[in-house]
Amino acid sequence: MITGDVDSSLSADEIALYDRQIRLWGMAAQARMRLARVLLINLSSIGTEICKNIVLSGLGSLCILDSHAVTEEDLGSQFYLSKQDVGLKRLDAAKNRILDLNPRVNVTFDVQDFSSKPLAYFKDFDLVIGTQLTKNEMVRLNEITRHFNLPIYLTGSNGLFGYIFVDLIEFHAEEQKIKSAKATAVGRISDSVEVTEVVEKKDEEKPNKVYEIVKTKHTYKPFVEVLSKPTLKNKLSRRQSKRLSPSVPLTLALFSLDEMQDELTPQILKNKALEICERLEVPTTILSNEYVEQFVVQRNVEFTPISAILGGAVAQDVINILGKRQTPLKSTTILDGITLDMPMFEF
Amino acid sequence: MARESNLIKIVGKSNYEKLRSFKCLIVGAGGIGCELLKDCILMEFGEIHIVDLDTIDLSNLNRQFLFRQRDIKRPKSTVAVNAVQYFNNSKLVPYQGNVMDNAQFPLNWFKQFDIIFNGLDNLAARRYVNKMSQFLSTPLIESGTSGFDGYIQPIIPGKTECFDCTKKETQKTFPVCTIRSTPSQSIHCIAWAKNFLFGQLFTFDNDSENDNGNDWGTDDQAEIERIKQETGELSALKNIITAQDESRIEQILKKLFVDDIEKLLQIENLWKTRTKPVPLSILIIEKALHNNSGAHLNENSLWTIEEQVNKFIQSIKSLMLRLKKEKIDIEFHKDDKDTLEFVATAANIRSFIFNIPMKTLFDIKQIAGNIIPAIATTNAIIAGLSTLTSLRVLNLLCYAATKSATDLNMAFTAKASNLSQDRYISNPKLAPSNPYCPVSSRVNRGIIQITEMGLSTISLYQLTNLLREKYIFPEEVSILDTSDNRLLYDFDFDDLEGKKLTDLSLGEGSVLLFSDEEGDGTDLKFKKPIEFYFEIASGPLENEILLPQIESSYITARRSLHDETSEQDLREPQDKSKEDQTIILDEDEETAPENKRLKRPLPEESADEVTEEIRKKNKISEPPAEDNVIELD
Ligand SMILES: [Zn+2]
Repeated sequence: MITGDVDSSLSADEIALYDRQIRLWGMAAQARMRLARVLLINLSSIGTEICKNIVLSGLGSLCILDSHAVTEEDLGSQFYLSKQDVGLKRLDAAKNRILDLNPRVNVTFDVQDFSSKPLAYFKDFDLVIGTQLTKNEMVRLNEITRHFNLPIYLTGSNGLFGYIFVDLIEFHAEEQKIKSAKATAVGRISDSVEVTEVVEKKDEEKPNKVYEIVKTKHTYKPFVEVLSKPTLKNKLSRRQSKRLSPSVPLTLALFSLDEMQDELTPQILKNKALEICERLEVPTTILSNEYVEQFVVQRNVEFTPISAILGGAVAQDVINILGKRQTPLKSTTILDGITLDMPMFEF
Repeated sequence: MARESNLIKIVGKSNYEKLRSFKCLIVGAGGIGCELLKDCILMEFGEIHIVDLDTIDLSNLNRQFLFRQRDIKRPKSTVAVNAVQYFNNSKLVPYQGNVMDNAQFPLNWFKQFDIIFNGLDNLAARRYVNKMSQFLSTPLIESGTSGFDGYIQPIIPGKTECFDCTKKETQKTFPVCTIRSTPSQSIHCIAWAKNFLFGQLFTFDNDSENDNGNDWGTDDQAEIERIKQETGELSALKNIITAQDESRIEQILKKLFVDDIEKLLQIENLWKTRTKPVPLSILIIEKALHNNSGAHLNENSLWTIEEQVNKFIQSIKSLMLRLKKEKIDIEFHKDDKDTLEFVATAANIRSFIFNIPMKTLFDIKQIAGNIIPAIATTNAIIAGLSTLTSLRVLNLLCYAATKSATDLNMAFTAKASNLSQDRYISNPKLAPSNPYCPVSSRVNRGIIQITEMGLSTISLYQLTNLLREKYIFPEEVSILDTSDNRLLYDFDFDDLEGKKLTDLSLGEGSVLLFSDEEGDGTDLKFKKPIEFYFEIASGPLENEILLPQIESSYITARRSLHDETSEQDLREPQDKSKEDQTIILDEDEETAPENKRLKRPLPEESADEVTEEIRKKNKISEPPAEDNVIELD
């Protein structure tokens, strides 16, 4: 709920337009969001969803970097493209539709390839999002964001499955919650999360309701480290590891085999996934042939409902960290679109 | 590669052809509805029908991404369909209307759909669509969002829980004495200003707040007497308003904020454990009356008590003028500035008197207008989950065939709702239908075909006999018109027996509930009630009426089940009269989605444990009996 503190930088029109979200995250967060400059790489299916959500939210400025041309396949998973646009640059085709969405947001379009950009290009942004990139591109981009101390979100899909990697380097979050019987203790709660401060706050109308404002410090690993030695040792109960979605090792396995093209077979993928299961210390029995086969067939496939979920989750987390609300995502999130399971991990 | 090549990698070639032949219905073209429409188009459903009653409002634009400033006040469904044309590859059919309007949307119309997606914002329509889905055995994907929170629940009639299998949280109500005598939170003062004071002063017919037969929330006779007296005295104030006598506004202020408070203070019992209210200072009132200026105040800052009184006077003046000009009742609406300012300032002055923190106009608007925060991201995620799971519901995933309906998952936003730190989304398996659910378990259903001639010649008495004979019900039965919960017949109400069906306003779309009130004599077994949908026959019928074949089945006695039903998390029977006894912040266009039920997992539990918990619960509850299958003739 909003209290008396008002940020006068939001106009009455903006307050009216953003009413339903200001009621959720407050004027101050909305005003902070307006100052942010975000770089979105690739107007893929997920990229389109992220773009829509961010532009609607009233972020300050968004730069979209994408050099691809529209393919027939893109028409099946992107709603800013039309049949007539096949062959045009994706950005040229989508530009006017995106600009029409919310004239208050400054959206710019850059049709160059991201690998052609000099290092200095990236320092003018507050946050970087990369979608549907190759492993090498992801590693490279993460090196750049580490260099400039920028938060990064990397997301993509393999058909019915998807992933989000987050590297916020170090992030301080503040969250208000109802105090339970046992007070939250200051100290480390996992390898990457530490409670730094807990302040009690009483409800001014209901004195028996007590809140805690919990401050936490979140430390992230670079993407390359997450991939090189992931483990779930001591992080899951026996039952949890037996029920782990096969999409977790399979997603990681696909990254390890990123260089392989058409020669990727279910057997190669399965062997790699088995290896990863062992490294994660989860039972190899979780892998089923149907899942393995799907990952081979649906590798890099974009699918709108999956994009909507991943794009919604990424955009919301971006909004949260820019507005300084809620705790951020863990370093790795995997979506299993068959069971609708979406666990988060600190590998 | 073609447009559909990626989709085919997911569903396979033959299922893709099926998908192209499927028709889906999207109910609601709002936050979730716009997202559903986009997803269904890109998933290549053959036909997509979308229904919405509403027109577009400025506050929709932060999330309903198919709408623009230029579309404000235009109908949502048609604007949405126009907006998607450039990427559309399906047949799209928009409707502007209320999905509960059975003239525009009879059961027959629902029959054409292979699956229904709900993108609704109110309980009544959710219940109604759920019932249609049960009538036709059409799968329904129910969903809802509120701020960061969202859920989806696939409903497979006859196989899984329906929308009414679990109790839904309803509007918060307060006892009369809390609102009228002893408020302790600003919401009590807002309810007083909006539901009591506003109605008393600006509507001609004051039935809205009848003091008789109320849930007073107190046994203190002195207090009850005072409340009744106060209501009477307010009609005197009403006269000041209707006479448009600005010189007497002072009387209104003194009555509401000084005299009535002093009377309250005289009832000493009330203040033994509570902080005493302090009547508003006469000085503040007089000062405000003498230099009443129209200074602009920021709706996001907290006004001083002087500013509140000032604004209160101004809003009364504007409303007086309007009442005189318009000569009809003025109703509270959150977007009607005068009414909102009146309610907000009256509530705040009362809060000030009762030592409760005042609130900004922005905040009071949210409470008084029942505004639910809403964001694009949650809607996108929820619509994505709905459409994704529709493929499993329709058994179209080529690598993951659906073996059993209870293998399907519901889903809710676990992380955003602070229910888990290990899962972004939690995915409990669907539970079987609750054996005590009055919608999906404890009723049989069928369609009565009737001609226009039948409606005007068959009497209720004749219909009752026909039903009793056909379905072998005992002598004592009852018939209820479910559209308005109107009792048409039971063993001690036969006044309407002689009336023809048309005289009882029965016709296309009427839904009657036919129940056994007698049992088999042991008081343990009753015929399972039957719900009949009336459909006007397309051709002539022998005897002008055709009753459906329904397998006869029994349920155990209702009375003896009461204790068990509370255990079963069953919704309480709707008792209209009870609702009227308490003050309710009435429903507005945006009612809270009933997603609280999905918070049954305890916050500390991990999703796995939650699933386990739900599984255990399912094992305990009886599996649905064979006779739960819905028979349609
Ligand atoms: Zn039910």
